[in-house]
Amino acid sequence: MTTCTALEPDLLEGFREAVGRENVIESPLEVFGYSYDASFLPLDTRTVPQVVVRPRTTAEISRVMVLAHRSRIPVTPRGAASGRTGGSVPLQGGIVLALDRMTSILELDTANMMVSAEPGVRTIDLHDHCARQGLFFPPDPGSWKVSTLGGNIAENAGGMRAVKYGVTRDYVMGLEVVLADGSVLETGGKAVKNVTGYDLTGLFVGSEGTLGIVSRALFRLRPLPKARGVLRVVFRTMDEACAAVQAMLLEGVTPSAAEIMDAACLEAVALARKTSLEAGAGACLILEIDGDGPEALDAQSRRIEAITGQAGRIGFRAAATREETEALWAERRGLSSAVAAMAPNRLGEDISVPRSAFPEVVRRINAISRATGLRIPVFGHAGDGNLHPSVLCDLADPDQAARAHEAVDGIFKAALELGGTLSGEHGIGVSKRPYFAGAVGPVSLEAHRAVKGALDPLWILNPGKIW
Amino acid sequence: MVSAAPKAGLAPLAAARQKVLGCDRCGSCLPVCPLFDVQDVERASARGKNALVRGLAEGLLAPGREAQEALEFCLLCRACTDACPGKVPTDEAMVQARQALADTLGHTPLRSRLIGRTLRRRSLVTLGAAALTGLRFLGLHRLLPSSVVPREVSRRSYLARRAGPALLGAPAPGVPPAVHPTARVAYFQGCGMKLLFPDASRSTQRILGGLSAFQRPDHPCCGLPHLAHGQRAAFLELARENIRAFEGADLVVTDCASCGGTLKHLASWFEGNPEWEGPAARFAAKVMDLTEYLVAAGYRPRALPGATFTYHDPCHLARGQGIRRQPRQLLEQAGQLVELSAKERCCGGSGSFHLEHPAAAAAILQRKQADIQGTGAQVVVTACPGCLIQLTRAADQSGGAFQALHISQVI
Repeated sequence: MTTCTALEPDLLEGFREAVGRENVIESPLEVFGYSYDASFLPLDTRTVPQVVVRPRTTAEISRVMVLAHRSRIPVTPRGAASGRTGGSVPLQGGIVLALDRMTSILELDTANMMVSAEPGVRTIDLHDHCARQGLFFPPDPGSWKVSTLGGNIAENAGGMRAVKYGVTRDYVMGLEVVLADGSVLETGGKAVKNVTGYDLTGLFVGSEGTLGIVSRALFRLRPLPKARGVLRVVFRTMDEACAAVQAMLLEGVTPSAAEIMDAACLEAVALARKTSLEAGAGACLILEIDGDGPEALDAQSRRIEAITGQAGRIGFRAAATREETEALWAERRGLSSAVAAMAPNRLGEDISVPRSAFPEVVRRINAISRATGLRIPVFGHAGDGNLHPSVLCDLADPDQAARAHEAVDGIFKAALELGGTLSGEHGIGVSKRPYFAGAVGPVSLEAHRAVKGALDPLWILNPGKIW
Repeated sequence: MVSAAPKAGLAPLAAARQKVLGCDRCGSCLPVCPLFDVQDVERASARGKNALVRGLAEGLLAPGREAQEALEFCLLCRACTDACPGKVPTDEAMVQARQALADTLGHTPLRSRLIGRTLRRRSLVTLGAAALTGLRFLGLHRLLPSSVVPREVSRRSYLARRAGPALLGAPAPGVPPAVHPTARVAYFQGCGMKLLFPDASRSTQRILGGLSAFQRPDHPCCGLPHLAHGQRAAFLELARENIRAFEGADLVVTDCASCGGTLKHLASWFEGNPEWEGPAARFAAKVMDLTEYLVAAGYRPRALPGATFTYHDPCHLARGQGIRRQPRQLLEQAGQLVELSAKERCCGGSGSFHLEHPAAAAAILQRKQADIQGTGAQVVVTACPGCLIQLTRAADQSGGAFQALHISQVI
């Protein structure tokens, strides 16, 4: 029932030869499963691929790209399809290049503190693998139990620990990339200092699968922190909470995560856990601290207690036991479902502003909430200015749907006006494409197009994304 | 009313779609779905099946045999729902979607239909049980595929193999039920226990008998096989018969996690039905799992010195009924309990799933077997005949490294 026309039988046979019959999915029912991701794009027959091809090696990716390039067929790379902006949705059908069977961690080089892995490795698996050797791969997007490294690189994924440890980009040392015509490009390497030529590695990070297919990646690692602790600090207002985070960073007490929740989030959590809201609570910080041992954590905890005290906190709890740590984190981890439970639908957004603008953007979002009559709980990563407003609505009601989209427009506008960006860690994909040109301006757009045209002259790689 | 909607198929599919609308396709279910673990195509995952339901309901996909088979390829284990931020009940959606397709396309897989017909008639189950006893006596059951007739280990042979004569024979001393001292207790003997594990069922009755004079009313199947495979009308008829059969009991105790889970949830299927809503709710409130009842009644199993157990949580007991503590408490009193690393991971049994999809079920079981052997326990214990079929097979494959027993056989 798909609207796509069938591929030439010869071409299909070519794919089967390239990767093996057992790695090609052709049945209409099966390929339907590769037509969506975790974005709000509706299910649609137009985004159903004609074929799903699952290479296991760089050479196989290359063979597939040669065939696709020759026939000018769109190719959309896909890992776990856990992206939030439609990055792995095959907008024009064609081939979904599923990298989920390339799951090898190739080399853990402890001397250089680096690891190389294939794109289909799950983020958490790489983390755990390194942790067993006392090494630390910090990027931890919310979906890290599901998401794969290829997708993390394509979207330049962040996570809660970005405030102290940065994002995926900060860890990519080198890439092996299959280009649109099937040729294989190698970038970067294990040399920490490297200024030989353009930073092609950086070019591919965050390129959303539009410039090439990452077939292998080299990441740098850090030593695994020996101890971790969790603190929960409650404030009357978001302004006070944000000011407290800024004061911590200025003082050089950098938490490894600084998650902030507004009053609406706290209410959602209280509702889900059937507890009552603390009197006067308008904002809450869940802080993770890490260090060399219990003494280091104690020292940090005491300094944070003092700093937040000056910032006007009304509640402070430090987890003393493993169970308490779990309980405090559970509040943050359960937040998404608690917020989701408040309405039939949730448009979860991902904007990023300069840290100093955090309180102001929250104020503007609250105003948007009042103007549209829709609840918009805000949580986010206070330490890095990345926030996730959730527009709660019932999309089955056309009036609410219209107001929800109006709210999203307003949120983007507010972020841009305050010197922020459309996306902190989810990418542009399809869902933010209408805002892209306006956000970056004509010169940047032209530069993007020039890069795209140089690397993918037939525009077959992930068409219809970003702009 | 809950019977088939006038436009066969359409209304139930809309209901299934409603169940999965909360799925935002985040993929949290992917790492926990046992089927996606052994068959890495999107269609096999909970997310894939939720999307399939929407695709079918929204006219993006044509309903047909392939779709029906894809919807059958679900263990109903609820691991996905547990991991889901929005708690989407994929299992319920599957049950409803299967019904919708069965109503529209009219056919379900042959074997589940056969089982459905047999289990609907209690006399056939009794006959089957007698026939299997005969086959076992003659040793002929070995000619059938092992998963159809598992090799049951009796409590007697278990005790004989591992301990001295002092432990044989006499049931452990009972303590009067603490919660309902005068409650009229009835035993719900599920088809799996009656047909496939008669010794375990006798152990259950021995324990129940030590606590009170319990009833054994004549009753049919709990109806889960019918419900799960698009025979809702049959399920509702069986439910009504069961409600009537247990009218004279205050507590309905079962040693089958799947029966218990189904019976405890009966009320929801009769909501809005003036005649049956009340009786169904009253019946459901009386149902207890054996372990739940025993702990509430203060039963203390006799300790078996040196016995080491590991415990496999049946999906329909742990996630289905929230019962995790009671079986462990009983096992810790009976011996030493060593936990599995993935204790709540489905064993791949799931009713007739292991007959319909032997390769997938075997792959899932292989992981379970490795987990069991990793504990070093002598016995893997569970509380559902569906799991026991699979675990018995794993025990056979282990070459005697461990035994598989129902919890009533070791407490």
